[in-house]
Amino acid sequence: MVQARELSAPRRRAARTGAGRRYVPRWRVLAVFLLPALLLYSVFIVYPLVSALDYSFFEWRGIRQVGFAGFDNYRDLLGIYPYDEQLWRAFAHNALFFAGTMLIQTTVGLLFALLLFRYGRGKRFLQGAFTTPYLVDPLVVGYLWSLLLNPMFGPVNALLEAVGLDSWALPWLGDTRTALPIVVLVNAWQWVGFPMLLFSAALAGIPAEYHEAARVDGASAWQAFRRVTLPLLTPAIGVVSVLTFIGNFNAFGLVYAMSGSTGSPAGSTDVLGLLFYRVAFVEGGVEAIGRSSALAVLMFVFIFGVSMLATSYFRRRERKLV
Amino acid sequence: MKRRWIAGAIGVLAVALAACAPGGGASGGASDGGDKADAGKVTLSLWSWRVEDVKAYEKILATFEESHPKIHVEFKPFQATEYNNILATGLSGSGGPDVAQLRAYGGLQPLVEADQLLPLDGKVDALSGFDAKLLEGAKGHKDGKIYGVPFAYQTLQVLYNKKLFGDNGIQPPATWDEMIAAAKKLKAAGITPFAVAAGPDATWTLPIVHEIFGNARYGGTAFRDAVLGGQKKFTDPDFTASVKLVKDLEPYFPKDVVAVKIPDVQALFATGKAAMYPTGTFDLAPLLKADPSLEIGVFQVPPPPGSPETTPVTPGWADGSFGVNAKSAHQAEALELVKWMATPEFGQLYATELKQLSAVPGVTPSDPLLAEMAKNYAANGAPYTLLVDFRYGQPNGDAVFRDELQKMLAGQTGPEAAAESVQKGIEQWFKPGN
Repeated sequence: MVQARELSAPRRRAARTGAGRRYVPRWRVLAVFLLPALLLYSVFIVYPLVSALDYSFFEWRGIRQVGFAGFDNYRDLLGIYPYDEQLWRAFAHNALFFAGTMLIQTTVGLLFALLLFRYGRGKRFLQGAFTTPYLVDPLVVGYLWSLLLNPMFGPVNALLEAVGLDSWALPWLGDTRTALPIVVLVNAWQWVGFPMLLFSAALAGIPAEYHEAARVDGASAWQAFRRVTLPLLTPAIGVVSVLTFIGNFNAFGLVYAMSGSTGSPAGSTDVLGLLFYRVAFVEGGVEAIGRSSALAVLMFVFIFGVSMLATSYFRRRERKLV
Repeated sequence: MKRRWIAGAIGVLAVALAACAPGGGASGGASDGGDKADAGKVTLSLWSWRVEDVKAYEKILATFEESHPKIHVEFKPFQATEYNNILATGLSGSGGPDVAQLRAYGGLQPLVEADQLLPLDGKVDALSGFDAKLLEGAKGHKDGKIYGVPFAYQTLQVLYNKKLFGDNGIQPPATWDEMIAAAKKLKAAGITPFAVAAGPDATWTLPIVHEIFGNARYGGTAFRDAVLGGQKKFTDPDFTASVKLVKDLEPYFPKDVVAVKIPDVQALFATGKAAMYPTGTFDLAPLLKADPSLEIGVFQVPPPPGSPETTPVTPGWADGSFGVNAKSAHQAEALELVKWMATPEFGQLYATELKQLSAVPGVTPSDPLLAEMAKNYAANGAPYTLLVDFRYGQPNGDAVFRDELQKMLAGQTGPEAAAESVQKGIEQWFKPGN
């Protein structure tokens, strides 16, 4: 809306100075800008979402609907072995994946942003370097890291052995204890540039007077950060949290590239995206469409719901700042 | 981040899109095309998941067109991983294929149950001469009708490096103990005895490894029939013992096997760092492509002590079949094509051009190794039962088993618990005696 108001101001001025242009109602201008996006959004997001909801309530035989199923697909998904176990396991892994990523990516991202803000040397280069990984598709990143971590031919273990850390040369992606943390680390590595950029922008937007005032009042560097900088970063933290949450609960490409469709080893990296992929495509049973649509709907409802709650929470915090 | 979110959304919704786009637009076939210059000539569209076989099929189909001058066949391959969805969509609209390569067993059922294929019973006479085991793969599970002409089958056995065996003074083993002794000897010489992968891309090969070492141990065809009839379950001590074999053999697999991928073990075997490769027929052509000078031998695993089945077994299954689109505008011509695909002429061309085992009766492969595999299967073949019989419902038995085997190798479960999970999984939909 802000943009719209700014847009219309010069136009009105133009009309007043009599530039000879006919008055165009505001809604038409808006429509011209909004319709293409709305159309694409409807065709590629809204329509499939609604049809997934529709599909999840029918019984399927291949691609033939054979009748209304009510909540049967949902019941199957929550009640049939092994989905009943895999669903909650995958959900827990998504939660860990999100928690781990937030912890590492946000703190490291904030640290980088603060360091770059304070010591400006090489800022452009470093900002570019830190953000490069997220220009690459998660599938590619996952594949690269699985090559690097390969226990037989991978350079990571070769390097560890070369410097005498033989006991550290573990089968990183083949051990149920290390696989998920490694995937989390790689994910954080890939996305760390994103919070860094947002925090950098937010830091640049905090007036220098605030810090000066804090210093005059005798605040230590930590107190100034804790009481002045951090609260003012709330909007950026909110955006980072919500987007990371959405991305992490929809995670697929990276995990698929590093752990295959079964969340190898022994399901220790299984996430909801992989479970969906298996139910929908890998096993390919006659009921696949109904059950996978039901899972897609559950995922959407959860992600959408939590995102709305989180957004409203952060908005309330922001309002307190003003 | 936004991109990832969009990618996630697209992934989540892919199935919806795949199912709601009749005709598939860009992938439309040429079934109602027809050659304008050559009036009366019919163009058939043939769909397949074998992108790598285009040249071979062009050659094979040219032979067909010589004897059937009124028919032109267009071979259209699609990415194997996308094929099932593309085909299901194509068959539902007007731009679909006339004849299509079909998956076998459980993979065929979604198309059968959606009435998308033409039953071939009574229409292709030569099918009566086909091996009954292989025909099962082309049948509707519920109605028992035949929906395709089987084109190939796969057999499972151990490939070995002849030179490494010779260098270490090892003969193809005649008993289980001989095989273990050979493995020990190879390991002591710094060679990986068995090229087995259990990494993220390799879970589907684990039930294959189990079949190769354990089929005789659980009792082969007799056990399978007993499970189908309800007299036995997968929790049977014989089946559990067969699962345990995989764990017992782990010392002879590559180190950290749960992190090892398929290309890794293929490289190990092709470069002479691993001596034996328990795998299917399908791996022979790629291995020889990697190193044509590789001297490969083949043996059937000797039954381990305590096996109900005392002669070595070669497990196998039908790879797929060629069927006719129920909505094809040129059904008569399409039937001509699948009829020809049931003739020895096609079978021989197929075996020679593609280095695969043809399902057409009476065809002998020209490659001596393939011929040996075919002979073993004919003499004492057995179904790879979890694939052949237990992929008709969700969760499919094979999928549960692959996860359990990987868990077992990762030290997260034992043979009994793994067998119990398989039984629990199939019980969700399988009723014995049907």
